[in-house]
This record gives sequence, structure tokens and C-alpha cells, in this order.
Amino acid sequence: MRRNRWGAGLILGLTTVIVLVPFLWMISIAFTPEKEAFGSISLIPSHPTLGNFTTALVNANLIRALLNSAIVAVVAVSANCLIAVMAGYAFVMLPFPGRTPLFYLLVSTTAIPGSVTLIPLFLIARGIPLVGGNDIVGQGGSGLLDTLAGVVLPYLVMPMNIFLARQFFSTAPIELSEAARIDGAGEWRIFSRIYLPLARPLVAVVAIFSFTAVWSDFLWPLVVTSSARMQTVQLALARFLSAGNVQYGPLMAGAVLVTLPVLVIFLFNQRSFISGLSEGSLKG
Amino acid sequence: MQAMKRHRLFTGTVTIAAVSAFVLAGCAGPTAGSGTSPGAVPTEGGKISVWFPGTDPTEIALVTKKIVPNFEKATGAQVSVTYVDWSNISTKLNAAFAAGTAPDVFGHGPAAVADFVTNKRVEPLTNYIQQLSEKDRSDMSSALQGGQVNGVQYLVPLSMQGSLIMYNAADFTAAGLDPNKPPTTWEGVRAAAKQLTKRDASGAITRSGLLLPSQPIGRQQTFAALLLSNGGTQLNKEQTAAAFDSQQGVAALDYFTSLFNGPDAVSAGLGANYINTPTAQQPIVLGTASMEFQTPNGMQQIVAANPKMDLRVMMPPKFEGADKGYAMGGAGPGLMINADSKHKALAWKFIQYMIAPDTSVEYTQGIGAVPPRSSAAETSYVKNSPILKAFVKAAPQFVPNPNVPGWVQIRDTMDKFLEQALNKKMSSKDALTQAAAAVDKILKANG
Amino acid sequence: MSVVVRPSPKGARGPASVGGAPPRRISNPRRRWTNASRSGLLFVLPAALYVLVFQLAPVLYGLILSFTKYSPLSRSGPTPIGVENYARLLTDADFGNSLLVTGRYVAQVLPITVAAALGLALLVNRPFRGVGFFRSALYVPHIVSLTAVSMVWLWIYSQNGLINEILGILGLPRQSWLLDQDTALNAASVMRIWMALGSNMVLLLAGLQSIPKELYEAGRVDGAGAWGLFRYVTLPGLRPMLVYVVAMDIIFLAQGFAEIYVLTQGGPLGSTTTVNYLIYTQAFQYNQLGYASAMAFVLFAFIAGFSLLSIRGLMGRQK
Repeated sequence: MRRNRWGAGLILGLTTVIVLVPFLWMISIAFTPEKEAFGSISLIPSHPTLGNFTTALVNANLIRALLNSAIVAVVAVSANCLIAVMAGYAFVMLPFPGRTPLFYLLVSTTAIPGSVTLIPLFLIARGIPLVGGNDIVGQGGSGLLDTLAGVVLPYLVMPMNIFLARQFFSTAPIELSEAARIDGAGEWRIFSRIYLPLARPLVAVVAIFSFTAVWSDFLWPLVVTSSARMQTVQLALARFLSAGNVQYGPLMAGAVLVTLPVLVIFLFNQRSFISGLSEGSLKG
Repeated sequence: MQAMKRHRLFTGTVTIAAVSAFVLAGCAGPTAGSGTSPGAVPTEGGKISVWFPGTDPTEIALVTKKIVPNFEKATGAQVSVTYVDWSNISTKLNAAFAAGTAPDVFGHGPAAVADFVTNKRVEPLTNYIQQLSEKDRSDMSSALQGGQVNGVQYLVPLSMQGSLIMYNAADFTAAGLDPNKPPTTWEGVRAAAKQLTKRDASGAITRSGLLLPSQPIGRQQTFAALLLSNGGTQLNKEQTAAAFDSQQGVAALDYFTSLFNGPDAVSAGLGANYINTPTAQQPIVLGTASMEFQTPNGMQQIVAANPKMDLRVMMPPKFEGADKGYAMGGAGPGLMINADSKHKALAWKFIQYMIAPDTSVEYTQGIGAVPPRSSAAETSYVKNSPILKAFVKAAPQFVPNPNVPGWVQIRDTMDKFLEQALNKKMSSKDALTQAAAAVDKILKANG
Repeated sequence: MSVVVRPSPKGARGPASVGGAPPRRISNPRRRWTNASRSGLLFVLPAALYVLVFQLAPVLYGLILSFTKYSPLSRSGPTPIGVENYARLLTDADFGNSLLVTGRYVAQVLPITVAAALGLALLVNRPFRGVGFFRSALYVPHIVSLTAVSMVWLWIYSQNGLINEILGILGLPRQSWLLDQDTALNAASVMRIWMALGSNMVLLLAGLQSIPKELYEAGRVDGAGAWGLFRYVTLPGLRPMLVYVVAMDIIFLAQGFAEIYVLTQGGPLGSTTTVNYLIYTQAFQYNQLGYASAMAFVLFAFIAGFSLLSIRGLMGRQK
């Protein structure tokens, strides 16, 4: 038994080290002067510097970008945690006629490559009525182009989150809802007061995935925004990717800075994994 | 917790309302208005939008902090500038053109110009150019040529591009070669490379005598340079059919292939993109190559990071029997005016400002490129740099790729067959014959 | 979809547990529109409307485009050309090759990511000091900026990069990982596994956390060993999440693009040209959005087929 535990620890430790290798080198290069970047395989820079971080923060206007990305991510996370989770819940717990074809229709949209949907989506973002100078039929202005609302537009409900929620609730105990219904509780109340609190691991995963998706997207924000004020973190990093003249140090420094907030949120969010349905079902 | 839930409910309601509003409005978005409402900028006078390709930090600082404010002060106009990284400029422009929101002025490489022209998306600039002084025009003549399609000017290049061979003088001396008399023919380069190549006990190359780009896109450019230096051309004179499947072409490709293959190989790492590797990983810096093709910008960075190395630049060699050596290059990225722009006069003023002698030198120096004006040879930026001097001297020998519609696809098609030949999957002749057939088909489909 | 009788939570060892399809509540089979089902529709409505407008509409537009010739730059808009794009695909050797590459890519990445992620999820499922560190560390690849970290990967695989330096120290011959058509796709697969591991692990961890603990207690009372508990408690309880992970991995792996774009640009000799890479090239390099869309819908047909098959397969084993 003890040997088992040691073996498990060893495997876990080893895998973690291997998985972290590229990230460790990113950190290392973030502290390495530009002309020495990738010059040796040593993890410890021979002339460590903080200059890359200054460059990243000043040249790329990273603070503004962090703020923009944070706003967009919070909106996307809230929308997904409510709307997508609610839909996934209903597909299992509140069955209605036609739900299966509807479900597959919604989820199937994830199987079409973004290259094909990018331009139609762009046209939609431009044609949203009554915003950005548009009239009631979406003409005359620029719609949601070059706004943070435009950036978050494709992320408000991610169909994969609906799928995830449906799978999650398919193991949830039904007795709770039956009991509540007998007590005369409405469906919204049953969902929001009984099942949502039980679904903390689900909400945690949906939140993390929505956050990550928005935070790491590059192509859509690039296409939909134009002005420096609307830059997201990945666009800010692209400043250092100039073809044939990549600034490795500031790029890595910026990337490390951009990764940290997500890591912190993930660490914080993890408590949700510890408890959740497994505890709740005991009460059920 | 209660408050949070209520908040979530609120967000949900708002979203539902927004979505329903959109649906009620009849989904006008996706179908309406491709190309009917041009110009992203409202019509208030004196406001233009400009998209620059590339994200060079020096360039950004220079343009946004100096050039644009000065321009705005001089003209009273407003300029909003966006930088788009090279790999996604086409994507962003395509979406914007499809939606009718493309900027007044945008930049791209010469390879993309013909497709914009075919679709009548860019303004012909010949008339504007005519208004420049005679002196200005001749000063920029070689750069301007690269921005023309069928003799009409569409793109105004902001810099010149090209690749030349950089060599390590110390390696030359050690191998018994005279670094002051570098080879002038490709045959001579090959012979020198053979002397410079080093191998380990197993026969694997540890130092390439010569490295020419053989990665995607790079290999088409290498082949084209060799082809031109052997007296061949890529397309026929009318630019209606492939001409690279000539004897000169086969010989050029045989030469290229032999560098990497066989017991006499002088190059290691077929397909490797060494051009874009970090300075500290450049083969010539690591001592794993003695001669390598490089861009002006790449060379300047290598020299700046390794001041103790004696690195020199070779003029474009030719094949024996050919008239002259050529290198791929010429006009670099430049600016175009959206045909639907409502502020063409102002847009042109901006371009004019960008190519004014002082701005132009400052700009090219900032990005480490070759200035588009021949008069720039007299500036301290060029005079103080042996590398730039070499590039300016070689300028007449730089030849751009043809500006024809569908060029990107043609280039990739050539690239694919060249790769087959370089990897010995096909003979040079077969590869070029098949490539020519495929290229002719694309030319026909686009013409 | 078959009708599955919903088990009670304690009945997970019973014969009919949950598969890919959600169980249908059988309380009131005749009256189809109950209060509950009406609420269900209302619950789904916001998501459905949103997806319809912002996800499905672009897809349908793409479907229409696949029957047209269309350059986004053109002023005339799409020109209908019937099934010409699809007919052209039949004889397009590059497309055929890309389907094979994509198939091989999914086939070799999928089992490893799922199995490894399951193993790691089991390891970090128990509470111990520092478990949070391991969970976060394993999730790092999923959140780190792809553009930045791809530079590191390029270097790792390069001639003088990390792997070759280590091989050199061990006295083994160096390899051109990304330049050799026998190793390039494997090299890209390794990067993809690295990227996907963390998110799969997080999902499976959430799945493991949702298995009622009393099932394990009941199992132990019945005298089940570690393997028995895994086989009869963990696996059945994890099945819905496993179905999700496999289906989503198929969907996203079959659209593999980013790692190819940064590492190999589809080379060498087309050995890493996935369908999605080809679609991107057609759409944004050659401006042939119609042809690119046709490719996308053929790919879609394959993805839909394989993910449904895998869902069925994972459910079927239960019966």
C-alpha cells in the first residue's frame, strides 16, 4: 500500500515536471537579455534582467489589455455559468419534446472550423441593430466592431458548456427535485437553490473553460477590434511577434504576466472541486 | 451569495433581451450590405484609418509617436492607426472588405497586390505619382516598379527587401580562402562551400559550408534567385504562363538539390527555417554555417549581438555563362488606398508623408530595412553600415516576384513541387514540369 | 437515441447506467407538455436563441457558401456553382491526404490524452498537501499563451534545441524532429497532448468528484478491491464525463490547426497538413472561401460520424 503511494507520487511528480518544462523555459527567457535568448539550454540565465518585464508592460500597454481581457472574461464567464448551465440542466432534468435534435443542433456548431464562420460572424457583429450607429435593421454604422461587446460576442454561450452541463446533471440525484416539487417549489427555485449549489464542480469547470477561451483567443479580437484602446492580452503580446524580428524576452515576460492571473483564478477556484455533488447527494 | 444570484439573473435577462432584439430585427446582419457602405470612418472631414502590417515595436513607436502626430499637426487631419501582425493581415482585411469596413489606407506585401487589383479594391495611384517631382520619381523608381500591376501603380513601397549571402571571414581564412575575394559565381560558391563544410566521424555535416533557405516560401525564393542568376524567369513575358520549367530552371534546381544531398552535400537541415530563429541560434553565430542567406534586418541583429565576429556580405553571384547575378527582393511592403475611401486626397497625403526623404530614412532605420530611395545611399544610416551599403549596392540586382492574381497560390504550388525535388522524391525536371502545369491552371483560373 | 431508465444514485452498479444520451424522465409519457417541460423549454430558450443567431447562422451561411465561388474581396458576392466544390474535392489529392493525416492525428492523440488525463485525475483526486499545486501545474499548458509557448516548442525541437542537446549528452544521434516526414506529425502530436492534458484532467476530476462517496463505501462493504471499485464504481460513475471528454476531443482534435501552424506549416512533404490547415490556407491565403467551406462540411460529416460512433460505443459497453 505504501509502495503504491510512493509510486503514484513519483509518477505525478515526474509528469508535472515534464509538463512544466516549456513553461519553465518561458520564465527563464523572460529574465534573459534579448541577444542571449535561446543561446544555451541552461535554465538559469547567466545575466538575469528585469528589463523584459518593463518593456512588456510599457511597450505593449499590457495593463490596459489586462483590464480589457478581464472585463470580457467576466462577462463571458457569468453568461456561460448561468445560461449554458441552465440549458444543460433543462436538457436532462426538464425534458421537453424535441430536446434531443435541438441539443445535437446546438452542439454540432462546435464541429465547424472557425476559418469558415469567421467572416459571417464578423458580418453579424457589424450588423447588430441600434448599436455603433446602426439603425433598426443593422445598417449605417459599425455595429459592435471595435468594442469589447464585439470581442465577447462569440463567447456568451459556448455550446460545449451546454453539453458539459448536460453530462454533469445526468448523474445528479432526481429525488431532490421531486421532493421540492411536492413542497410546491417552482422550477427556477429548484434549479437555482438546489441544483446550482450542488453543481459547484461543474460551475467551476465552466467558469475556468470560458475564462480560458476568452483569455487566450487571438484571431477574433484581432479581426473585430482596430483601435489600441480595445486590445486584449493576446493582441498586446503580438506586438513582440514581428516577423523575422521576434522580441523573445519581452514576449515571454508578457506571456508570463498574462498567464499569472489565470493561474491565480484557477488555484482559487479549485476549492469547488473538493466538495460538491458528492457531498450534496448524501443529503438527498 | 443572494446578491450574486440576483446579479446573474439580471445578466441573463439582459442577454435574453439583447438576443431577442436581434432576432426581432430580422437577422439583417449576415446577408446585407457586402460592399455597399464603404469606409469605416464616418464622413466628417479629415479623418482616415490606416492599417499597417507587421508589429515591429520600433516602427509602432515611430509611427504613432512621431510620424502621425507630425502629420496631424501639419494637416489638421486625424489618423487612427492599427497594427496587424503579418500572419493575420490577410484575414483581417478579408473580413473588413467583405463587410465594407476596410480602412482608407492599408499595407501589405507586393505579392498580395494583384488580388486586390483584380477585385477593384485598391485605387490606381499612377496619377498621384505623376504629380510627384521628376526627382522624387527617379529617386524611388526601382521601389515603385515593385508596386505596379500591368504597368499601373497600386502600392507605394515603404522599404526595399532582399536576401544576400553573409559569410564568416574567419572561416574563409581558416579554410585557405581569401575573405577579401569572395566567389562571384554560384559554381565558385559551391567550391568554397565544399572547403568550408565540416563533418563528424560518421560523415554528418557539423558545419554547413553554405545555407540557403529551404523552408516553405523560402525555397521558392531561393529557387527563383538561382533561376534568375542562370538567365531564366519564373513566368513568361506576358505573365500568362509558367517559364521556370526551362533548362535554366532544371539546372538551378539541380544545383539547389545537390547542396543538401549526396556525398558532396554542403548544407545540413533541409527544410529548417533558420532565417527566423533567435539571433543566438543563428547557424553563422553558432558556427554551424559559414555562409548563409540573410535579410538586412537579420544581418544587422546578428552583427549587433556579435560585434567581435568578422561577418561580411557577398554580392549576388551568377551562374557561369549567365549575364548577371540576381537576388530575390526589390520592393518591400507598402501602402495602398482603399478604392472606396471617402478621403483619398488625405490618404494620398499620408502616403506622401511616409515616403518623404526624412521620414523614409527614419522609418527604414527604425525597422532595420533598406530605404526605398536611392538617394538614401548618402545618409549616415547607410554610410555607417557595411551591411546596408552592400544592400544598396546590390539594389539593381534585386528582382521581385511577379505581381499576378493568385500569386500566393502559385507560390505555394511551386513550393510543394520544389520540396518534392529537394527531397529526391522527384527529378528536377519532373517537379518543374508538373509545377508548371499546375501554375498554368491557376493563372488561367485567375485571368 | 435509446431511452435509458434513470438509475437511482445508489444503483450505479445496476444494469442501466447513464450513457451519452441523457436519461429521459418517464414520469409522464403521455402528456408531453407538462409544467416541467414548459419550464425546460424556457430554460433552454436563451441559450438556444443565442446559439442559433451567433453560432448556427454563421455555420448555415458557410453551408450556403460551400455551393458558391466566393472571394471575400470580390464586390459581386458569392456566385452559385452548385456542387462543383464538392465534386472538385473528390479529385483533390491534397484534400484526400489531409483527411488521412487528420485521421491519423486524432487516432494517435486521442487515446493517449484520455488515458493519461484519467490517470492524472485519479492521482490528484485524493486530498493531500499540495494537491492544488499539481492540479494547477498540469493545467498551465492550457492557459499559457500559445504564440509565446510555441516559440519554446520550436526551440525544443530544433537542431540545437533541448531534446537534441539531451540526446547529445546521452551520446545518441540528433534528429530533425520537425523536418523529417516520419517524425513531424508525432512531434506535433506531443505538443497537442501537452496542451490537451490539463483540460481533460480537470473535466475528469470534476467527474470523479461527482461520484457519490457512499458508493465506494458500499463497494468496500461488499469486499471489492481497488480494481473492483474502479471497474464497478469509478468507471460507471465517470461514464457521462468520459463520453463528453472523448466526444469533445474528437471534435477539437479533428480541427487541429494551431500546433500545426506554429510548428510545421503543414510540412514536410504535406505530412502534417490537416484538413483544418488546408481550410485556413484556402480561405485566407487563396481567398477561396467557397471551396474552404465545402472542405469544412466534409470534415464536419466525418467529425459528426465519429463522435456519434464513439458516444454509442461508450454507451454500448454498458449493456
